[in-house]
Amino acid sequence: MALKQISSSKCSGELQKVFEHVSVELNCKMKFAVYLPPKAETGKCPELYWLSGLICTEQNFISKSGYHQAASEHGLFVIAPDTSPRGCNVKGEDESWDFSTGAGFYADATEDPWKTNYRVYSYVTEELPQLINANFPVDPQRTSIFGHSMGGHGVLICALKNPGKYKSVSAFASICNPVLCPWGKKAFSGYLGKDQSKWKAYNATHLVKSYPGSQLDILIDQEKDDQFLLDEELLPDDFIAACTERKIPVVFLLQEVLARIS
Amino acid sequence: MEEESGEELGLDRSTPKDFHFYHMDLYDSEDRLQLFPEENTRMRKEVVQAEMANESTGVGDGNAQRDLREEVEELVHLHGLEDDHELGDEFVDENMPRMGVSEYPPYGLKRRDPAREQRDWRLSGEAAEAEDLGFGGWGSAGQCQDLREVYRYTHGRASEEYECYVIPEEEDEEEAADVFCVTCKTPIRAFQKVFDEHKEHEVIPLNEALESAKDEIHKNMYKLEKQIIDMENFANHLEEVFITVEENFGKQEQNFESHYNEILETLAQKYEEKIQALGEKKKEKLEALYGQLVSCGENLDTCKELMETIEEMCHEEKVDFIKDAVAMADRLGRFLKTKTDVEISAQPDFEDQNLDFSDVEQLMDSINTIPAPSAPVINPQAPNSATGSSVRVCWSLYSDDTVESYQLSYRPVQDSSPGKDQAEFTVTIKETYCSVTDLVPNTQYEFWVTAHNRAGPSPSSERAVYVTAPSPPIIKTKEIRSCEEAVLICWESGNLNPVDSYTVELTQAESPEASGVTESVVGIPTCETLVQLQPGQSYIIYVRALNMGGPSVRSEPATVHTIGSYFRLNKDTCHPWLTISQDGLMIVRSERSTPTREPPPRDTHFTRCVAVMGNLIPVRGHHYWEVEVNEHFDYTVGVAFEDVPKKEDLGANCLSWCMRHTFASLRHKYEFLHNGTTPDIRITVPPKKIGILLDYENSKLSFFNVDLSQHLYTFSCQLHKFVHPCFSLEKPGCLKIHNGISMPKHVTFY
Repeated sequence: MALKQISSSKCSGELQKVFEHVSVELNCKMKFAVYLPPKAETGKCPELYWLSGLICTEQNFISKSGYHQAASEHGLFVIAPDTSPRGCNVKGEDESWDFSTGAGFYADATEDPWKTNYRVYSYVTEELPQLINANFPVDPQRTSIFGHSMGGHGVLICALKNPGKYKSVSAFASICNPVLCPWGKKAFSGYLGKDQSKWKAYNATHLVKSYPGSQLDILIDQEKDDQFLLDEELLPDDFIAACTERKIPVVFLLQEVLARIS
Repeated sequence: MEEESGEELGLDRSTPKDFHFYHMDLYDSEDRLQLFPEENTRMRKEVVQAEMANESTGVGDGNAQRDLREEVEELVHLHGLEDDHELGDEFVDENMPRMGVSEYPPYGLKRRDPAREQRDWRLSGEAAEAEDLGFGGWGSAGQCQDLREVYRYTHGRASEEYECYVIPEEEDEEEAADVFCVTCKTPIRAFQKVFDEHKEHEVIPLNEALESAKDEIHKNMYKLEKQIIDMENFANHLEEVFITVEENFGKQEQNFESHYNEILETLAQKYEEKIQALGEKKKEKLEALYGQLVSCGENLDTCKELMETIEEMCHEEKVDFIKDAVAMADRLGRFLKTKTDVEISAQPDFEDQNLDFSDVEQLMDSINTIPAPSAPVINPQAPNSATGSSVRVCWSLYSDDTVESYQLSYRPVQDSSPGKDQAEFTVTIKETYCSVTDLVPNTQYEFWVTAHNRAGPSPSSERAVYVTAPSPPIIKTKEIRSCEEAVLICWESGNLNPVDSYTVELTQAESPEASGVTESVVGIPTCETLVQLQPGQSYIIYVRALNMGGPSVRSEPATVHTIGSYFRLNKDTCHPWLTISQDGLMIVRSERSTPTREPPPRDTHFTRCVAVMGNLIPVRGHHYWEVEVNEHFDYTVGVAFEDVPKKEDLGANCLSWCMRHTFASLRHKYEFLHNGTTPDIRITVPPKKIGILLDYENSKLSFFNVDLSQHLYTFSCQLHKFVHPCFSLEKPGCLKIHNGISMPKHVTFY
């Protein structure tokens, strides 16, 4: 897979780049952003995947979050993929803001017309890591994942479906129980069909109940006055309850204020 | 001569203009024999020095010198060092005057540039007889001739060949000897061994012979050096004795002079006295005699008068005559009756004088008797000369008095009224110092000393106060607090009276006692100190007390490990319902709500919150400790300022930060409290062991689930003063503290 560098900006020893490649899973050109800390010049860095939320691209996080200083300090190689395939000309992909384009929901669609392109789960857990590991100075043994909202959902399911793959999992205002929230229902029925049993495979709250249990370290930060929380899109309590029962270590922090980055 | 030759031989390294076509290196011994270049140079120098040294030991050593030189010559011959060396030998032999050792080094310098020597020499050799070339002093023309002969001999060439600049050494090298025949003491060529002469002889490689020759020379040199030192010392000593003899003579002279003067004075005085007495006596006698004479004269006059009267009478008429005769007869009768003293009252002889010279005799005798000595002067105490039970007292006698012994008296200095007399002790010593033992530590004693001789004791010296060193302090091991970078130690003085200061000594425990470097912190005024240490080490710490007398012995040691932060619970803060274990690390709140004993609460104790605080070392940096908890207990753990209100709950004010766990209705509630508020936090797996990281630098306090390496929560806290760990149990239960442990890796990221 050939990588084409789209942009690169340098700032005090660190590099923020954006690459483009042709994705096999998604059958289209995909962009992703990578951040190389100064440490990358001399050695392999731990890798950190950021999964963005609804309507985001690879740009939102790298432009708005201000994560660079922390990443530089800790020598972290940060990868921020896009949230869905682009320009595939699938019918209906631009109809809703919370489904299809910009809303891959980190699942592998099984339904038409989505199943050809909308395989974001495999992309994020397999294709992209392979690409990164082959082309950049990273240490695959030290991988972690974090994300926001839909991305938060993404990180939770990636971690729960791949025990031992990620050293830490952090979710900001994540969708914790998509099968019960409007977003989730919409997305899953579109990508996975009406059979709700298939949805469980992408539902954090469900997955946790059958998690075989290698070490996990989950941190969930949630703003108290988050509208989406109040609208019951996020449903963290269900997830927490399931984790408590299964003794999965989670620290769930309900904060007063949490900045939005979309 | 020396200077001249020096110039001639060119002590300055620059090549004289005329000689530039002479290739230096060919004749430079340093390069000559490539096989043993180093040895060459060394050899030459040593041999030369040996020779010079040989010379300095004396003229009589001629033979020995000769032998050595010959040996060396032979050796050198083999190495093709002949020309310059032999030349040098010749010079040394005949021309070098017997000079002191100091003059040799310049010669040695010259030796390093033998080529130059040769060159110059050769040139002057050409000119032959010329004494004015500076070699004059070194011998006649004949000698120069000899030298050339020698040179020719060694190279086996005619003198004409000097200018041709043939390289003799290469030829010689082929024929050069390479072994040494010990029996004949001569270097020979290897194949010579085969021949009859040396067939039976012991042969060793030339190297070995060289080495042993060098060793010999070295040994001799060493011996000579030693002798020089010995002689110099002896000379110094003699000088000293010289001076002492003069001094002693002076003293004796003075002594005799004064004594004899005294005697003379006494004699003169006696003489005067005697003469005067004699004079008196004479006067006495004469007066007595004169008295007698006068009375005699009077008697005579009376007699004469009577006579005349009688004669007159005889011429008178019978009647008058009878009248007068009767009166006269009476008068005569009376007169004649008075006794006339015709004894001489004063004898002319004088008695023999009894010359009493006994006191003069005494004086004579006392020439050799000495007076009682003058008072000694007692020295002030030398610093650090005392131990806890002894002091070393010194004094001096600032006169030439003879002293047979001293008496040192002492008693402890007492503040109390003079009426109460302390026991006085006295020792008799012959020296001018004494170590007095069996004393009490950290105590002042008064000392005074008198000097004694046959004549009696001297007056007492002034009284000097000496003080014994203190007793060692006792480290309060249970109150040691440490962290990775420092330790806070406190101790008891160990002495009733105050001491001047304390010294703390530390050694690293890994290295054994003997080889360990001891770091000392001196001049500590109080009974505690903070010492900087290296992380991850073990130290053994001692404390000493110091006063004027010196340091005490070391206290019992205490061990400190600079791993993690180590603290103990502060019993002064402990709520009465809490019990602290013996090791100070376990806190228990028993079922009973009131304890059996109720001590009066003080300000330092927690009264409302059933809590206790630890004593953390006041060092900014990182501190980490762990608390073992039970998920069914209600507990609070965290940190607080020392002055946190003891009547309030932990976390309820802005002087404390803590994590609280409440277990109710089978649900775990976790709160992170400061100033009465907490974030809304849910923790799915209740921790069994909580790790607490206090980071002064980043103003953070973090809590971890140690078993899961899970970060729970971090406070940002303004720590303007030092804080201490705090613990409380809201319901019966117990907490076990683990400290003195290093931070787990996952914690180091925070």
